[in-house]
Formats: sequence, C-alpha cells, structure tokens
Amino acid sequence: MWLLGLSGDSLANSSTYLREPVIETSNLVKIYKEGAIRAVDGLDLKIGKGEIYALIGANGSGKTTTISMLTGSLFPTSGEIRVLGLQIPKKRRIVSSRIGVAPQEYALYSDLTVEQNIWFFAKLYSMDRGSFLKRLDELLPILRLNERRKTTVSNLSGGMKRRVSIACALVHNPEIVFFDEATVGIDPVLRAFFWNYFRTLAETGLTIVLTSHVMDEAERANRIGLMRAGKLVEEGTPEEIKRRNSASSIEQVFIKLSEGTVADE
Amino acid sequence: MSKAKKFSLNRVIAVSWRVLTQISRDKRTIAQMIFIPAIIMLIFGLVAGGAAKNLPIIVDNQDAGYIIPSGQNSTSLHFGNSILSSLQLDDRVKVNVGSFVSGKVGVDNGTYYAAIIFPANFSEVLFLRNAGQSLNASVTVYIDGTNPTIQAAVMVAVQSSLQNTFGSGGVVVNEQFAFGGVQFSGLDVSIPAVIGLVLTQVVLLISIITLVKETTSGVLSRLYATPLSAFERLLGFSFALLILGIGMTGVVLFIGLVIFGAIVQGSFVLLFFGAVLFALLNIFLAVFLSNFAKNELQAVQMVPLITLPSMALSGMLIPVSTFPGWVQTIAQFVPMYYANKLFEGIMLKGYGISNLAPQLIIIGGIALLFFVLAVITVKDRMPD
Repeated sequence: MWLLGLSGDSLANSSTYLREPVIETSNLVKIYKEGAIRAVDGLDLKIGKGEIYALIGANGSGKTTTISMLTGSLFPTSGEIRVLGLQIPKKRRIVSSRIGVAPQEYALYSDLTVEQNIWFFAKLYSMDRGSFLKRLDELLPILRLNERRKTTVSNLSGGMKRRVSIACALVHNPEIVFFDEATVGIDPVLRAFFWNYFRTLAETGLTIVLTSHVMDEAERANRIGLMRAGKLVEEGTPEEIKRRNSASSIEQVFIKLSEGTVADE
Repeated sequence: MSKAKKFSLNRVIAVSWRVLTQISRDKRTIAQMIFIPAIIMLIFGLVAGGAAKNLPIIVDNQDAGYIIPSGQNSTSLHFGNSILSSLQLDDRVKVNVGSFVSGKVGVDNGTYYAAIIFPANFSEVLFLRNAGQSLNASVTVYIDGTNPTIQAAVMVAVQSSLQNTFGSGGVVVNEQFAFGGVQFSGLDVSIPAVIGLVLTQVVLLISIITLVKETTSGVLSRLYATPLSAFERLLGFSFALLILGIGMTGVVLFIGLVIFGAIVQGSFVLLFFGAVLFALLNIFLAVFLSNFAKNELQAVQMVPLITLPSMALSGMLIPVSTFPGWVQTIAQFVPMYYANKLFEGIMLKGYGISNLAPQLIIIGGIALLFFVLAVITVKDRMPD
C-alpha cells in the first residue's frame, strides 16, 4: 500500500523515466538583479512523463526559482527550457493551458469560497460550467473538501487551503503539475494522504514536479534532484542516491552534500 | 514568576519603537512624508497668492454724452467715457468694446465674464439728477455668476470705476445673471467641483486598493503561470471597476442633486456620461499607478499625491485665472481642471455637447493615455 510508504518503483532506475521527457533544461541560469544573486547556476534537468520528481534542497538553494522558470512565471537569465516540447518562456502561454501550479503560498482569494476560487481558475483555462462542475464533483471528494464547497477560504484551516490550492492546480486536467512546498505545515496523516493521491495521479500519466525540504517525503518520489547553491549536486532514484553516497536515508545524503551551506544562510 | 502589570509604559514604548523602526525601513514612506507636504504647500502657496486679473469683459458704451448749455460756452460731459477709461486702467479686468447683445452671447458661451452697457442718456440723467431732478442713473451688468470670486472681482472693478468717476453714491448697478437669470448659491457653485473631487478621491482609492490587493495576496505568482495575459487581467479589472465607478457616480450625483438639490441646467444624461467618463479616467490612472505599488500602504500613499494638487490646480478652490501664468499652464495638465469645466458647464451654464466637446475629448484622451501607460508598465511575470 502506498500509504505505508512502500514504493513499487524502488527497483526502477533513472532511465525508466527519461524515455519520454516532458521537461528539459540546459545550462539554466538565473541571476536576480537585486543583490546580483545567482539563484540557479547551470541547471541541467530532464523529467519524464508520469514521473514524480522531487526537487529538494535547503532554503535558498534555488528550488522555487527553478519551478518559477519552468512554469514561465520568471524569465531565465540564460539557458534553455523546454516543457512539453515547447520553448519557455517564448511559448509559455500555449504551455500554460497544459500545466498546473500550486505555489508555495496558498495563492487563493480569501474572500471567495472554495468553489468560487476553483471556478475562477477553471475559467482561466477556458473550462465551461458543465465540465467544471463535473470535475469539481470528482476533485472535492478526493481532496475531502466536499463539505467546504461553499465556505469562504479565509475560514479554512491551513491544510484545507493547501487542498484548495491543489484543486486549483488540477481542475483543468493538466499534463504536468508543479507543487512548490505543497505539504508545508501539513500533519503526517494529511501528508500521507497527499502522497497517495500524487501516486494515483502519476499512474494516469500526469507528471508531478514538487519541491520540498522534508527529506523523508522526498524518498517517496520516483526520482530526486538535490539542489545546492543553484546547482544540481545529486540526482537519481532514492535507492540510486543512497547507494552512491553510502547512506541509509536521503536525509543523510542531504546533510553530507549540504555541509557548509548553513553558514552561507 | 513575575506578574504582568495591567498597564506597562514599557510595552507601549515597545510598540511605538517597532512602528517607527518599520517606517524608517520604508524609504518610500519617508520620502513621501517629506515631499508630499512640501509639494502641497508649494502648490497651494502658488495658487493662493494670486488675485483675479485680466478677466475679459465687454463694454457697450452707448452714452451719447451731454452738453451743458452755459451762455456762450458749453461744457461737454461724457461719463460713459470716463468710466470706460477707468475700467481700462483696472488690471482686474481686460476690457473689450462691443455690443451688449453680442456681449451677452459671449458671456453665455464663456468668452467674457460680464457684459456692461451704459445707456444712451447716461450722462444726461446723471447731470439732471445732480441738478436736483428725481432720476435714476443705472448701468446694467450681465454677469457670469458661476464663480463667486470672479463675479466679485468684476463687480468690484465696476464699482471702483464708478467711485473714481463720481465719488460715493449716484449710479445704480443692475446685475443680471447669465445662464437663466439664476443667482447661484454657494452650494450651487461648489457642487460641480465637489463631484469632481469625490470621483477622483473615491474612485482612485478604491480602484488602486482593489488592484494592489492581488499583489499582496500572493495570487499573482499563480496567475503568471496560467493562460491569463496581463492585458486580459487589466481589462478584466477595468470592466469591474467601471461597473463600480458607475455605481459610485450614481451615489455622488444622487446626493448632490437629490439630497442637496444642486442645480442642473443642462442634460442629466450628459452629466452622468461625463461623470462616468471621468471615473474611467481615474480607474485607468489607478491601474497605471498600481503597477508601481508593492502593497496597499504604498498604494494609498499615492492617492493624496494626486488629489491634493488636483484640488489646488483645478480651480476648485481658487479660480485658475488668478494663478500666475506659468501655473495656469500647469493647471491645463490636471484632469480635474477639465472635469470642473465639464460639470460646471452642464450644471450651471446648461451647456450641451457642442460647448463641452473639447472637455469630453480631453478627458477621454487622458483616460486612454493612462490605459496605454498601464498596459505598457503592467508586469506579466515575476520581477527579475
């Protein structure tokens, strides 16, 4: 059972996921003007269709910046990005209808209800009312929000707001979904529930790219990319990474490879 | 464990320290604390220091004069000429000579502030009255009463000229009011400008806060990754705010016209349309300004920077014609200046589209300019 944290893919290797890449970056760089911060420094990424890819790293390692560039919300300083075969940011408007994003903040309208929030985003993806209501009837029970359909978002708990945020990202049946720290502040029961749901979605062909700094969570992904100072310092399936680094957990690998970054922060 | 005191001055000071420290980190607020009062004082000082000068009037001197028979010699009197000369030396007015009838038309269409006529028997009546006959000498002044300051300046100039010519007493001044003969009350003449001010202040404030709320709510980071373009977002906001603007216009006009009984000599439909157009100008201005505000506090700080100079320069408080020449030129770049002329023209003067087309076109043009500026400066992705 996935809820127990057992991976059916533990024997798969990285190449399994790269036969059909949906996200590719080449020497991606982002230097923020303010402070001349090199947030992403020559990132080469390849993520396959139906993969759950976890981008992990310490705070400030470049995870959110990377996600923002992949979704077209932030323009790179240099380097190339292709999502679903199309160049980003040049074709971002076309790609945007095929991806979903749940940002780090809740990014919801607090004075609208759960249904109104999801409806607004559904309209942005040109969904008609009939299709939206059908999709809502699918999503809300799965995300355990059915009874909160007419509740104003400001009256929801943090965990419920996260679920609404996920619903907004999934309402239009995207091909890729980006979850930036989707499980921050979530209790273990709800976190296990989310991962079960992510697994179900990936089995339908949806590619999930998520960021996290919760290491044991990263072990549930198909592949992990470990970032440090804007660079990818390690990548592979959880087993591959642990084996290469002679570690028993991803957390050990992370600590070992992140040595020295605490002082930088 | 020490008991917390019910009231602690130290805690009060801690809050004050925190507030002042936060403000000291906000360079924009500090700059505005210095510049906004300085700019406002400067502008008000410049506009308040002037006096009504060179107000265009037209004088129809029909006085035929009077020759006093006196034996072999005769003395010619021409009081009309004397008064005219005195008026021409008065810098409060700029005298044009012409017919009273065309002068009245000129007052009605805004070319002149007053038309004055000295009757043909003016000098004769004055002479005979001074000689003991019971006669009334009078001058008729057909005057634009829509601006009390200007009206007063013209009348003082006329009275002063009469005083210079005759001393105290003697001539009756018949005041006829243009625009339907209505003598406007203080409320009548101030309501048009107040409508402009309220529409500026309220529409700008509500619009800019509504727009900036999206920035601070964190939703923008999600919106940038959707198919929604910045232009679509701007248009969507503009439609919604226009609906709100129409509502606000309705409230403002209802209170002005129904509660306070303000006069509307012209078309109410034109007034409503003009008010909505001006509200739209302020909406687009808010959309443009919102692109530079990071939070609601910064947004709100922008509003007095617009409304206070507008109040000063638009002629709302002090007539534009009393400003120094270069300030009058600046006033012509203030949207509220045209809004005042528009509302005043419709409400007090009964003007229609033919008279007010320039104001409508300018307001519409400025609205379009602000919209174009908003489109150019709107962010469609996260900042670099």
